[in-house]
Amino acid sequence: MKKFSYVIKDEIGIHARPAGMLVKEAKKYASKIVLGKNGKQADASKLMAVMGLGVKCGETVEIEVTGADEDAACEGIRTFFENNL
Amino acid sequence: MAKKNYDDLAGNIAKYVGGAQNVNSLFHCATRLRFKVKDTGKVDKKRLEQLQGVISVIESGGQIQVVIGNHVADVYEAVISTTGIKGQEDSGNAAADSGEKKNLLNVFMETVSGIFAPILTAMCGAGMLKGILILLTTLGVLTADSGTYRILYAAADGVFNFLPLFLAYTAAEKFRADKFISVAIAAALVYPDITAAFGAGEALTFLGIPVVLVSYTSSVIPIIISVYVLSKLEILLKKFIPDMIKSFMCPLISLIVMVPATYLVIGPIADTAGSLLASGYTGLVGLNPVIAGFVLGLFWPMVVMFGLHWGFAPIVMNNIAEYGRDTLFTITGPNNMAQAGATLGVFLKTKNKDLKNLSGSAAISAVLAGITEPAIYGITLKYKKPFYIGMVFSGISGAIVAACGAGAPTLLTTSILTLPGYIGQGFAGFCIACAIAYFGSAIVTYLFGFSDDMILTPEPETEAPEETAETIETSEAKDAKIKLPVNGKVIPLSEVKDEMFAQEALGKGAAVVPADGKICAPCDGVVTAVYPTGHAIGITSKEGAEVLIHVGMDTVTLDGKGFKVHAKEGQAVRCGELLIEADLNVIKAAGFDITTPVVITNTDDYAEVKMAGAGQKRAGDVIIHCVSE
Repeated sequence: MKKFSYVIKDEIGIHARPAGMLVKEAKKYASKIVLGKNGKQADASKLMAVMGLGVKCGETVEIEVTGADEDAACEGIRTFFENNL
Repeated sequence: MAKKNYDDLAGNIAKYVGGAQNVNSLFHCATRLRFKVKDTGKVDKKRLEQLQGVISVIESGGQIQVVIGNHVADVYEAVISTTGIKGQEDSGNAAADSGEKKNLLNVFMETVSGIFAPILTAMCGAGMLKGILILLTTLGVLTADSGTYRILYAAADGVFNFLPLFLAYTAAEKFRADKFISVAIAAALVYPDITAAFGAGEALTFLGIPVVLVSYTSSVIPIIISVYVLSKLEILLKKFIPDMIKSFMCPLISLIVMVPATYLVIGPIADTAGSLLASGYTGLVGLNPVIAGFVLGLFWPMVVMFGLHWGFAPIVMNNIAEYGRDTLFTITGPNNMAQAGATLGVFLKTKNKDLKNLSGSAAISAVLAGITEPAIYGITLKYKKPFYIGMVFSGISGAIVAACGAGAPTLLTTSILTLPGYIGQGFAGFCIACAIAYFGSAIVTYLFGFSDDMILTPEPETEAPEETAETIETSEAKDAKIKLPVNGKVIPLSEVKDEMFAQEALGKGAAVVPADGKICAPCDGVVTAVYPTGHAIGITSKEGAEVLIHVGMDTVTLDGKGFKVHAKEGQAVRCGELLIEADLNVIKAAGFDITTPVVITNTDDYAEVKMAGAGQKRAGDVIIHCVSE
């Protein structure tokens, strides 16, 4: 399992559009990717769950990646966050 | 077959006829869905025919006829309820915008089948009851003056006696005249006082003009012409009468004009025409019953094959009105038995399991219910020889029936169960003809007409690759119908001015331009995500469909302004429950598009997610179908 945390810099947080992009990115990997915020968790491949977290600007998201391609997945997701959020 | 499969089938049928947008109207007869489409080029006949549950597809009489079989009514219901296709009744003025030019014969066929087909069920039942009553009185079980007999006879004869009323209704539907004014005219035609005057041979005058009274009970042609004229009159009246008094002036003038016009002009002319038609037919058959019967019987399977048999209904009904019985559909009756027999022959001969199942059920349906389409399209026509054998025996039987002068007092579909309807002159001959048709076709088909070598191995279905890819990832999500969450105009996602939604990156679905701001639950389920700003909400339906409603474009930047959320995460909601109140004016004033996409975020769990039709709709109308495999 690999973990990292990220502080959202995007003004409006993870709303529909970035959530959709994140899900798309997460689905590229075989690993299970879980987002966590204040103890709430969401499967990153499930749009509804990601949106349900309601992540806003300035909040910290914990990302956990587990699976065969976890190294690549972790890097990919990290890059995604840095570029988009 | 479970009900669910009909929904799938209905969805696929709708897809391959070119979608709801391509369909002007739909109605069904005993075995077929009859679509009137705008553009026959958009109909994928090949795909339609390959659907499990579709026996055959025919293009005829300006219609696309999808032959389903006995359970067509269920499939029809499924098509009407699950797709955007409208039944004939509520198609309104849709027929007017059919892009296709129709020839006269097609128009005639369409009109006739539309007028007669809906009444058939009632007439069949009543006709069989008549047969049973004749049987019971012949056997001495009932006497004609007993109360039991008279009440049952009323049940059997009511439809026929007041036939103009029924025809008025269906004709009004067909010609788009006011249904109840039409029925009112029909009621005036069979009004007891006038019927009595006709019976007594009274001479009536109308404003000094002598009226040629004819019998309107059980009549066919007068009311149809009358309703047609009424439909034209109504157009005129609506043009010239001011709106304020239209609601009562239109019906008043319609009745004042149409009832006397029918009594004075239409009735007598139609009556004469009817007599000519009937005597013409009788004359032709009378020339040489055996030859006429043989020819009719021989070609009848082809007439049925093209779905043209309803075109003969007026002759049949007219025969019944003129003579009290009809011989045309009697002569052609054993055809059902012949096709059933030929199918039975295939059933007995084949060792192929699938074909045995198919032919078995087709043969039974033909013999018991008189529904020959599965037999003709599914079996006999497919292997050709059985069809020709059936034709020959139908011809032979037709000759026998014509020779012994058998007839029926009603429109009947010949089957074992309706045999009582033919009791009367020539009944024994009719039974013998049916037996010859049935067993003859069966034996000859068994011996010469079919061998398993004739079975063609169907070509493997080449599905579009995207479709197979979609089905791989199915989980346990079940079929779901998602309703419109708010009143407004439904548009396809592709018309949404936001790339993410338009490209279906968030899932497939539909979008609505809301007319008000009350966003309600689109299904029973649980609220799984409420975005803090209140502009988006997610509901997981009880079937597992995850529905995201995103109110307006880019409205996340309003940060909650103009949104009032009435639901919280984890809350169970019923379809139609208020979720969000959005102030559309605030959204518009802030310069945002109010278009509200409704998408299925777990589209991948479904074999297919599709919208049910565009246009103005009300909250609660089905807009998205999620289909699992």
